Amino acid sequence: MEATMNEQLQALKEQALGELAAVDSLDALKNLRVKYLGKKGPMTEILRGMGKLPAEERPKIGQIVNEIKSLLEKEINEKTGVLEKKALADKLANEKVDITLPGRKPAQGHLHPVTLTLREIKKIFMRMGFDVCDGPEIEDVYHNFTALNLPPDHPALDMQDSFYITENYLLRTQTSGVQARTLESMEPNTPIRMICPGTVYRCDYDATHSPMFHQVEGLVVDKNISLADLKGTLELFCKQMFGNDVKVRLRPSYFPFTEPSVEVDVSCPICQGKGGCHVCKDSGWLEILGAGVVHPNVLRMSGYDPDKMTGFAFGLGVERIAMLKYGIDDLRLFFENDQRFINQFK
Amino acid sequence: MLASLEWLKQYVDINISTEELCDKITRVGLEVDTVTKLGQGLEGVVTGKVMEISRHPNSDHLWVCMMDYGQGGEPVQILTGAQNVHQYDIVPVAVVGSVLPPSSRNPEGLKLKKAKMRGLDSFGMLCSADELGIDNKVLLPEQRNGIFILPPDTPIGVDVKEVLGLNDTVIDIDLTSNRADCFSIIGLAREISAITGCPLKMPAMDVKEAAAGKASDYVSIKIDAPELCPRFATRVLKDIKIAESPEWMQRRLRACGVRPISNVVDVTNYVMLELGQPMHAYDADKVAGRTLIVRRAEEGEKLITLDDKERILNPSMITIGDAEKAAGLGGVMGGLLTEVTGETKNVILEAASFHGPSIRRTSRALGLRSEASGRFERGVDTILTHNALNRAANLLENMGACETFAGIVEAYPEEVKPAVITTTPAKINGRIGFVISREEIVEILVKLGFGVEEKGEELVVTAPSWRRDIECDADISEEIARMHGYDYIESHQPELTITQGHQSVLDDVKDAIQDYMTAAGLNEMMTYSFIKATAFDKMLLPAEDSRRNCIELLNPITDAFSVMRTTMIPSALQTASFNLRNHNDSVAVFEVGRIFLPKALPLTQDPEERPMLAAVLSGRRKALNWCDTKENVDFYDLKGIVEGLMEAMQVPEYSLVRSSAPYLHPGKSCDIIVNGRVIGSFGEVHPVAQENFELDQTTYVLEMEVQPLVASATQVPKYQHLPKYPAMSRDIAVVVPAEVTNEEIEGVIRTHAGELLRSVRVFDIYTGKQVAAGCKSMAFNLTYQAADRTLTDAEVDASMKAVIAQVAEAYKAKLRE
Repeated sequence: MEATMNEQLQALKEQALGELAAVDSLDALKNLRVKYLGKKGPMTEILRGMGKLPAEERPKIGQIVNEIKSLLEKEINEKTGVLEKKALADKLANEKVDITLPGRKPAQGHLHPVTLTLREIKKIFMRMGFDVCDGPEIEDVYHNFTALNLPPDHPALDMQDSFYITENYLLRTQTSGVQARTLESMEPNTPIRMICPGTVYRCDYDATHSPMFHQVEGLVVDKNISLADLKGTLELFCKQMFGNDVKVRLRPSYFPFTEPSVEVDVSCPICQGKGGCHVCKDSGWLEILGAGVVHPNVLRMSGYDPDKMTGFAFGLGVERIAMLKYGIDDLRLFFENDQRFINQFK
Repeated sequence: MLASLEWLKQYVDINISTEELCDKITRVGLEVDTVTKLGQGLEGVVTGKVMEISRHPNSDHLWVCMMDYGQGGEPVQILTGAQNVHQYDIVPVAVVGSVLPPSSRNPEGLKLKKAKMRGLDSFGMLCSADELGIDNKVLLPEQRNGIFILPPDTPIGVDVKEVLGLNDTVIDIDLTSNRADCFSIIGLAREISAITGCPLKMPAMDVKEAAAGKASDYVSIKIDAPELCPRFATRVLKDIKIAESPEWMQRRLRACGVRPISNVVDVTNYVMLELGQPMHAYDADKVAGRTLIVRRAEEGEKLITLDDKERILNPSMITIGDAEKAAGLGGVMGGLLTEVTGETKNVILEAASFHGPSIRRTSRALGLRSEASGRFERGVDTILTHNALNRAANLLENMGACETFAGIVEAYPEEVKPAVITTTPAKINGRIGFVISREEIVEILVKLGFGVEEKGEELVVTAPSWRRDIECDADISEEIARMHGYDYIESHQPELTITQGHQSVLDDVKDAIQDYMTAAGLNEMMTYSFIKATAFDKMLLPAEDSRRNCIELLNPITDAFSVMRTTMIPSALQTASFNLRNHNDSVAVFEVGRIFLPKALPLTQDPEERPMLAAVLSGRRKALNWCDTKENVDFYDLKGIVEGLMEAMQVPEYSLVRSSAPYLHPGKSCDIIVNGRVIGSFGEVHPVAQENFELDQTTYVLEMEVQPLVASATQVPKYQHLPKYPAMSRDIAVVVPAEVTNEEIEGVIRTHAGELLRSVRVFDIYTGKQVAAGCKSMAFNLTYQAADRTLTDAEVDASMKAVIAQVAEAYKAKLRE
């Protein structure tokens, strides 16, 4: 009897394990669990029939039944784990999207290249301790010319170059007027370190001239400021703007408000002076700004004593630097504001 | 300034390459703009004589020329289509194998091959001046068309480059306005001599004075306006024979861009180019009273100038009068009545110094700019007058063109004294920031022609007469620095107190606005500050609108840029229009710029320059994409940008009210009110304005002041504790008449919901079949929260009940299930 029951149980176990091996879905597995381990399953039935067994055999059979039950339990649980994993994998596999479709980009606007360049210039000079000043775009003749050592008969006052509003007012032709305004606003002989970025206007309109463009004026006034200091400061600026390898050279020039006056060239960042370059026309150098040691008359007119204080000043063209930096070849693009142009600058 | 290298070499030896020379003079401040090798690309063209000429048998315009160009043997047959060639003319012959430079006739240049024209062979080509690469403007009118006929004494079989001076190199120097002294061949040679150390040679200036009599018997000079003319000097020439000037002179003039005319005129131009002193020649017999008076013109005085135009003069103009009339405009242009012509017998040559600014004003006023006026504007050395007269007389005598009366007749009321500057090497070096030795300083100054007297530590420096730009010791520093070489001045960092650089709060806020706008998806534009005056009409501004009070430019480039903008709207709409018409289907741009508001017109005090923000939107809300909305932007896109900006700038209180801006759609526009003042407007562009600005799709525009945002924008936000207790949320939907606004309903809700209400947000609006005509359904989400406890359903339900009742009563609203 015992043997028979044991045999029955072993057969049942084999049958259950066999079916379990064939199960390939969680539903079937659930049915299998109910079938073999449920209340109406064969195990339960066998356990119920144990009453007919002799008392000494019951524990043995009971132990066998429990062993089989826990084995089946374990096997089913393991199988459940496997099938669940597979089911999740299948589900995920079915959920796949076309990752080559374009995404939803947030709309992103772009700053104008002149603004980007201006911000960079301001940043470089502010790090060197320069304050950023502002001045009027509609300027009087005194500040635009006279205070800069351009007497009323100087050729630069000509109608051909400046937009006049009245005899006394014009659109500033240079940010240099802010030099005089800054000097005037200070207690005489106070040290100054400032830049003034701004819009300036000249009567010129073609591929290389715009009637409106941007300049950054710089002014340093202190004791013992010299041409060598100007050279050192502008070298520092150029290295930060164009990279450490850039070389700077000064060439004599003429501005009524500085003496000596210089043009500042940088080694061509496009061809590194190797030639074959349409930007520097093979010269290896690019003119980027005008500068000089402040003319004693300019200091004197604004109440400074040129025997005590000296200074240097410079004026750089922002569009010119932006053109070099980004390789832009037509000045007019800056003011057409075609979005396909502006979109390119980050 | 154009300078012929061949001419320069006459006065200073140049032992370095042209490239090196150009580099050297550029490095001392005479910037070489271009270097032109005349005759470049011209090879193998020789002079040839037309031995026979006959019509081509098969053509009504071709000629058959039999040419002798020194080839030996029989003349060579060359065909030409030009109609100005005659037997025995000497012309440039491009023989087979020769090369012509690019020209207007042959833009790519040309290599000559044997050709066949209507059955006859042509072994070459006769050339026009253009085909040789000579600019038309330096040629006489008769030389411009057809074959370039050379003088009859031209040797045959010689390279035309030699005959026409096309072996020369011309350098174009961009002279700064302070270096008037270099505006001549001698001036340039002097500077080159100072750089290279090769001595300067001066041109021949000896005058035979072979005519019997003294010049002072034939002319008298008077200066009535010494402030406009410090010196006026003349020579008188007798028995002048007007002819062509020699070819060597013509080709130098041509190389420097001056057209040869006749010997007397050519000599005055030649001396001007060579010495820098402009000159003028009068027909002595037409000068009434043989007297020249330098005076201010009378108001309305008339003068017919050499170009046969009547000029109306005024007292600011320097006039050279004779005993009866105006005979010329000093330094600008001579008069027609005293012009030297083919019949002229005697000539008065003038070399004078005129007041530069006055010359400039006159030449601008009359639109007469010339080589002479350009030199006077910069200033001419008063010492030059005698040199110029002597040089000119010397040249004309040597051409056999005249005899010269003895003496120079001049007026020179007050001698012009050179500047004397007392300085020290320490002062000079202090400005440069580099030590240059006393010896080198003195050496440089002497090389440049300065007088130097050493008095102990001090240097007493006398500027040469030609350096009128030298006024103070800063000028001396520059001379020393440029000659020493800027490359050899070591750079140095200023020794200054460490400080922090700052920009203004306004600049910070402008940067923040730019960053906000780009993050909102708008591109930054940069537009001109001047606009077209008619823009105000396009904007539909009424006649009395204050924005029409704008500042006008006296001399705009075009009427499109004629007034300073008082509003950014036209700039914004033009940019939108430009973009939409140029391959952009949508536009989203902004600018932080300035408008210009006069306090009085015409301008008597500084106008207000007010910073403004402008933005414009049109077209798609999102770039075309499979998963993004295909809808176009509308009023609420722009409103959202404004609301977001006000939030980002932390504006504590503002309101948006219906706008009556004439350029905006009255139903879809707002004014922005801060502190009880309208600071801007935005909305859909009025359809008429839209059409006026050539916009063919609905466009939205914003303009607002920046300043009212500044105070709050920079405030540091104060942290608010996060709520400890949960919020409860309820939705209601009400059907109300279509004209009821969100603000009204929200107002009712807020008034009656009680103090536990935290927020109300409309989240859906529906019109259509489900609601009655003329009505809309609006759904609101209400959030309740208490700071000290978790709310109960009963509390919130009670509030909702009150809200529903009030909304229903106020708008006869129906609650929507």
